[in-house]
Amino acid sequence: MEQAERENNQRDIVDAKIREALSLVPVWTENAYGNTFGWLFLPGPERLTGAARALAELRARLCTISAYAEQRDDREKKRGIAYHFALGGMLFTVSVRIYNPQTLEKLPVPSITPWFRNADWNEREFKEMFNIDIIDHPNTRRLFLDERLDAGIMTSLIPFSTLLHSAGSQDLWERVMAEKTGIAPQGESGEKIPEPAFTPVRLGGTVAPPESGAKE
Amino acid sequence: MSETTAPAALKHFTLPIGPLHVALEEPMYFKLDLDGERVRGVDITAGHVHRGMEALASRRNFFQNVVLTERVCSLCSNSHPFTYCMAVENLAGIEIPLRGQYLRVMAEEIKRIASHLFNVAIMAHVIGYKSLFMHGMQVREIVQDIKETIFGNRMDLAAICLGGVKYDIDSNLLEYADSNLRRTAAHVQELIDIYRSDTFIGKRTRGVGVITPEDVFRLGLVGPVARSAGVPMDVRRDAPYAVYGNLEFSVITERGGDVHSRAMVRLREVAESIGIVLQILRCMPEGERNARLSAIPAGEAVARTEAPRGELFYYVRADGSDVPLRLKWRVPSYLNWEALAVMMKDCAVADVTLIVNSIDPCISCTER
Repeated sequence: MEQAERENNQRDIVDAKIREALSLVPVWTENAYGNTFGWLFLPGPERLTGAARALAELRARLCTISAYAEQRDDREKKRGIAYHFALGGMLFTVSVRIYNPQTLEKLPVPSITPWFRNADWNEREFKEMFNIDIIDHPNTRRLFLDERLDAGIMTSLIPFSTLLHSAGSQDLWERVMAEKTGIAPQGESGEKIPEPAFTPVRLGGTVAPPESGAKE
Repeated sequence: MSETTAPAALKHFTLPIGPLHVALEEPMYFKLDLDGERVRGVDITAGHVHRGMEALASRRNFFQNVVLTERVCSLCSNSHPFTYCMAVENLAGIEIPLRGQYLRVMAEEIKRIASHLFNVAIMAHVIGYKSLFMHGMQVREIVQDIKETIFGNRMDLAAICLGGVKYDIDSNLLEYADSNLRRTAAHVQELIDIYRSDTFIGKRTRGVGVITPEDVFRLGLVGPVARSAGVPMDVRRDAPYAVYGNLEFSVITERGGDVHSRAMVRLREVAESIGIVLQILRCMPEGERNARLSAIPAGEAVARTEAPRGELFYYVRADGSDVPLRLKWRVPSYLNWEALAVMMKDCAVADVTLIVNSIDPCISCTER
């Protein structure tokens, strides 16, 4: 009961602050345990710093930042970022669309490190994993991946299990391309398997994709 | 050679530690700028055990990801599937039966006891107190036996599944757990007394690796690291989940913010966790353990729990299929790791591994 009252008060304060700072209305949900969750969608990155400033003034704590692709079959263009904040017992997520919906051109996002010091690692991570550009980040050095790997390399990841379940090179590439293009592997429908749309990479240089019918 | 008589060339130098080092449990690489014996700057390089697990998670279905998340790391191997399942259940609006919730919390607290005892034992190892190290590990062994007896495993319990739990306890197991936890409690009280009053431990750990409450807020620190500086932050109390709202326990804090305070928080939390499990054993309700599952709808959800190292956070985004569009998790060490630079500033070289151990870092969790 006490927790519910506390969270209701907190929710009203956050709601009012977001309306005042951004003229936007958050959505509120609850889970089975009575925990409160706030959700705010920003149609572009230009109002992100305003949201960060408002939440910093409320003494919010940045939990983490999650970059994501909006659609499974389009991991390159329609990207978004969810910024997760804790305010006492409440979680508040600000989701930002980071592409132009008309042209699908990707948009850079401003760093929120001036308000949240611990955004540093999160922003570096989504830059190297998702190839998202950040404006005014204090330290752009790679966090986890080697500098020789392309940014966004994880979007081209081939799970080890896929590798293991393939009888040979031809079978492997057919499986990989079937997953990426939705075209059934050769032999089942007789369609030609297209060349890989990406270049597999290893440390120290790139590996040329195998030609169709490559030897096992 | 003393600091004052050392030639200038030996006074200022860079010392690499890791990524593989006898006192580090997992691969980390520190580049220390030294002024004689004192650390003036720290550069941390990560990524040695990055496995692309989040990318893997978006290629596996919701059930397979229970198994995958349990393998993020062994010490937090219950917290990951627990929090992941909570995120999915939040998205689908699944309510877990009460017995299932009690069993989830029981598994979580037993893991916390073993994890904390491991960390404080390693602290004794790092400072060269071998007999205490062995004693701590011996006490932990009782908890390992409890895990093996109830769950069939010593580390990965495989206790959690979507909608509830995969295990149950009967009256024999209940009695076994109760008697062994009481035995553990007596040993833990003894350990608390030793760690609190032993002169050698005090001289080696008090005033070392200090952080302030302001550092906690500025760096977003969590778990025993935050609580050691007097910040009473605990998800079990701040946003109660499962049956934590029905259980009596204290949020343990210390005021020193140093290595010693962090060890004391963990030891006292072991006593609290034993108390929580004993309460569960007394009041475990009968009934179903698992909820009826529904389809996972398109949408997004978050969940967080208090893992042994602090707040564990999961974000799931779904498109209505049986494979998540995105699964992201942030572990407590991800935040606490950055505090090492503050803790190590101006410390002695010999304190570096002691300070690293004091945040109970989980590199496998952090890098995924």
